[in-house]
Amino acid sequence: MSLRTSKKDLIEYVVTRTIFYIATIFTSVTLIYVLFKFMPVDAVENIIFQLTSAVGGVYDPESVMELRRNLYEMFGLGGNPIESYILFLQRVFTFNFGPAFISFPTPAFQLVLSRLPWTIGLLLTSTIITWTLGNLLGLIAGYYQNRKFAKVLEAMAIIIYPIPYYVMALILILLFAFLIPIFPLGGGMSIIPEKITLDVILNIIWHSLLPALSLIIPGALGWSFISARTLAIETLSKDYTRYAWIRGLPSRHILRRYVLKNILVPQTTVLALSLGGVFSGAMLTEVIFAYPGVGMLAYRATFSGDLNTLMAVLILSIFAVATSVFLLDLLYPLIDPRIKHR
Amino acid sequence: MSKLKYGRRIISNLIDIYKTSFKFRFGFTVIFLMCIMGFILPLFSPVNPRAWYSVPKEQPPSSRYLLGTTTMGRDVFWELCSSIGKSLTIAVITAMIASHIGLLIGLLAGIRGGLLDRFLMFLTDTFIIIPGFILLVVVVTVMKNFITIPLMGAIISIVSWPWPARQVRSMVLSLRERTFVYTARLSGMNTPKILIFELMPHLLGWHLVNFANTILFSIGTEGSLAIFGLSLLSDNTLGVMLYWAINYYALYRGLWWWISAPIATLVLIFISFYLVSIGLSEYLHRMVR
Amino acid sequence: MDVVLKADDLSGGYLLVRKGSSEKNEVYVDAVSDVSLQLERNEIFGIAGESGCGKSTLLKMIYGLLEPPLILRGGSVTFITVDGEIPITSLSENDLRRRVWWKKISYIPQSSMNVLNPTVRIRDHFIEMFTFHARMMKNEAYAEARKYIDQMGLPRDVLSAFPHQLSGGMRQRVVIALSLLLNPNIVLADEPTSALDVISQKVVLTMLEEAQKELKNTLVIVSHDLGIHGVMTHRMGIMYAGKIVEIGKTEEIFEDPLHPYSEALIRSLPKLGDKKQRTGLGGHPPDLKKPPSGCRFHPRCPYAMPICSRTPPKMKMIKPGRYVACWKNSMEE
Repeated sequence: MSLRTSKKDLIEYVVTRTIFYIATIFTSVTLIYVLFKFMPVDAVENIIFQLTSAVGGVYDPESVMELRRNLYEMFGLGGNPIESYILFLQRVFTFNFGPAFISFPTPAFQLVLSRLPWTIGLLLTSTIITWTLGNLLGLIAGYYQNRKFAKVLEAMAIIIYPIPYYVMALILILLFAFLIPIFPLGGGMSIIPEKITLDVILNIIWHSLLPALSLIIPGALGWSFISARTLAIETLSKDYTRYAWIRGLPSRHILRRYVLKNILVPQTTVLALSLGGVFSGAMLTEVIFAYPGVGMLAYRATFSGDLNTLMAVLILSIFAVATSVFLLDLLYPLIDPRIKHR
Repeated sequence: MSKLKYGRRIISNLIDIYKTSFKFRFGFTVIFLMCIMGFILPLFSPVNPRAWYSVPKEQPPSSRYLLGTTTMGRDVFWELCSSIGKSLTIAVITAMIASHIGLLIGLLAGIRGGLLDRFLMFLTDTFIIIPGFILLVVVVTVMKNFITIPLMGAIISIVSWPWPARQVRSMVLSLRERTFVYTARLSGMNTPKILIFELMPHLLGWHLVNFANTILFSIGTEGSLAIFGLSLLSDNTLGVMLYWAINYYALYRGLWWWISAPIATLVLIFISFYLVSIGLSEYLHRMVR
Repeated sequence: MDVVLKADDLSGGYLLVRKGSSEKNEVYVDAVSDVSLQLERNEIFGIAGESGCGKSTLLKMIYGLLEPPLILRGGSVTFITVDGEIPITSLSENDLRRRVWWKKISYIPQSSMNVLNPTVRIRDHFIEMFTFHARMMKNEAYAEARKYIDQMGLPRDVLSAFPHQLSGGMRQRVVIALSLLLNPNIVLADEPTSALDVISQKVVLTMLEEAQKELKNTLVIVSHDLGIHGVMTHRMGIMYAGKIVEIGKTEEIFEDPLHPYSEALIRSLPKLGDKKQRTGLGGHPPDLKKPPSGCRFHPRCPYAMPICSRTPPKMKMIKPGRYVACWKNSMEE
């Protein structure tokens, strides 16, 4: 019987997760490189052609050569595969994506970085609210499985879950910005402020309410709710929950300490796995609400064929999601005693 | 058990699910109707849905133009039918590719286990972390001029395979635990026979569930790409309908029918595929008990 | 006889509804059929029988734990205290949880390996019992828990451990300690030693026995292992296919089993010095969805008579404290 609260176990865990973090980023970057290898060279040439022949495009031969070199390196085209791979890696890890076409000559990386806080702010708050709300609702719906309100919630979830974020966003706009005009139709804020005051902050929050809602509702009544409910029902049939009931412990206590505590770990896993999708979904939501985040940027970049910016967005979002998953991994020892104490 | 008897058993199972699960019945019926709308009706379309200005523009729904017309002079109803067909086609292509890749990987990982399993799962999890939509945006931006319907289906499958893979693997793992596999092994049947006899019905069932889910995912993703202008803009899909409606400010100009039709259709399609999927999975869970 | 609990014609079983196919099928598994017995104060009572004979179900019904699909078909269970009688079978589950469960009667479920909350330390398992049943404050409860652990002979550092850090045997001991915490009048133990190694079995049984001797409560042990009954129980009841077939002092039953089933059970035990080959019992236990007519044992009984397949035998008192339900025994009068 070993009861040591081993610091060694904890350190071992952190080290393992860090290795995985680095390996994941490395592998995803490599996978993207491999993927681009499959794309036809003509496609990139096409883009260059479009850019140079468009009105207001880049003309002088030096810039075009620079552009071509840039794109070739990023898409791993031409030359020795190993060499181009190394060049590709270099670019990625030094965040050198070249200049953004939509905002020449600002480096694409800088442009994306300036919009990132908007997106992360929106995402962070809505994800936390979604996860918490979904857990609570799922917990109650699972515990009171046969009551009417639980069945109503379940029916709502079945309808809401399969609907993608942007459809929900469109419906919300239809309802609350068009038919019943409460919220602004879009934008991050009304007027560009001179300095940050409380009014400005409130204004920003007001503009982000509807986009946030379009992320929270499908989440808290969708994936978060459904997985929480399924887990709650599963936990209810576990031996330790029944034993708590047999011992005459009150319902509320059992809900809190036997069911809720035990769904936190798998629910965190669910959260980690859905972060990729949540990020993607947020980007679309930004487009629909004209919210000035990374998604909106990517939208504009798509229309101009601005591959530099798009690459910057792609790589940075991989980093963002991988880092969030890593941070979540680090939270596990706090909620799962089996990791800290072997 | 001969293949014929096998097929018959599967069919009788399907009929069983249809009879007992309201969710499945509802979803299946709607999908069936959608297929008729998408593949059969367009054959009778009085106008070419791709031709602009073939009907008076911006008419609200009436007895003549069932769902009204668009700014480009297209009949919304016929455009909708054609779009449903195209969207479903893309989705089915994605599902065929992605769910089978997922099936293969999930099976390999689940049955072989060990190092192969860990490697495959690491690969799968890495793919899950990559924000799929953004990857697709980059890919489709580069390939914009080469996109066809099959190619679109294939591209979306790049990011659709991880979930089926994970699902199949966890199902295989839980089936491995089940006693009947052990007893089958004990009774002398060799390994391939165990696989076919005991695992196949469950495998097939979950494979169908993944198939339905992938279709769902694909239609949604195609729509998202279309909103970004990254779809077959010259053709009709549900996403493209949305794109044009949004870009012509249909809502702001009061042409609500133009945008509501694809939204409503999308919502119906999503719900019905999802109902089919959970109808199936509930049945499979019951079968296991 | 100082009776602490009695069961009168208790019947119950599992109502299974099949929803898989288009027709709804209802099947009733007759797990406990017309069981009558009495438990005395300050004794160890054993319930023996094969797996599937209904002994675990009987225990649950005595506790009042009617989890669907388990239903009560008939009869009653009455708990007798100094302040009067408590009709277990007619009380609502809420009343049972508030007044009876754990305070008056406690229950040790089968396979206690997994009954402890994996995310909660052992000490909190104890503290919550004190907090909710005895209305103590948290630090008071903690002090009590520490005292109690010492009393039970468990090492102090068990308290700060999580369940997964303890061995199976230690977890079982914790569960037993929990069951005795509020000093209930009756402790119901369902197969307390299954899935344990022999050493742990002995430790667990010793713990139960010593606690019973000191607290003078009533301990009911359900086990298919006759060896346990032989060393621990004072009186026992033998169950077959949902029916109690024999009740009496353990010693007497082992010496001279009256019911043919008990006879077969006892005869199959190895005996020191007896080199004769052990004979098992032919056939297998009946399907409780469609139990045999008359005496449920008659298909396997070497002494079966025509009446055995027609009419179920009633429990008859052979001498004070000794009961058998068998036509062969009623005839020999």
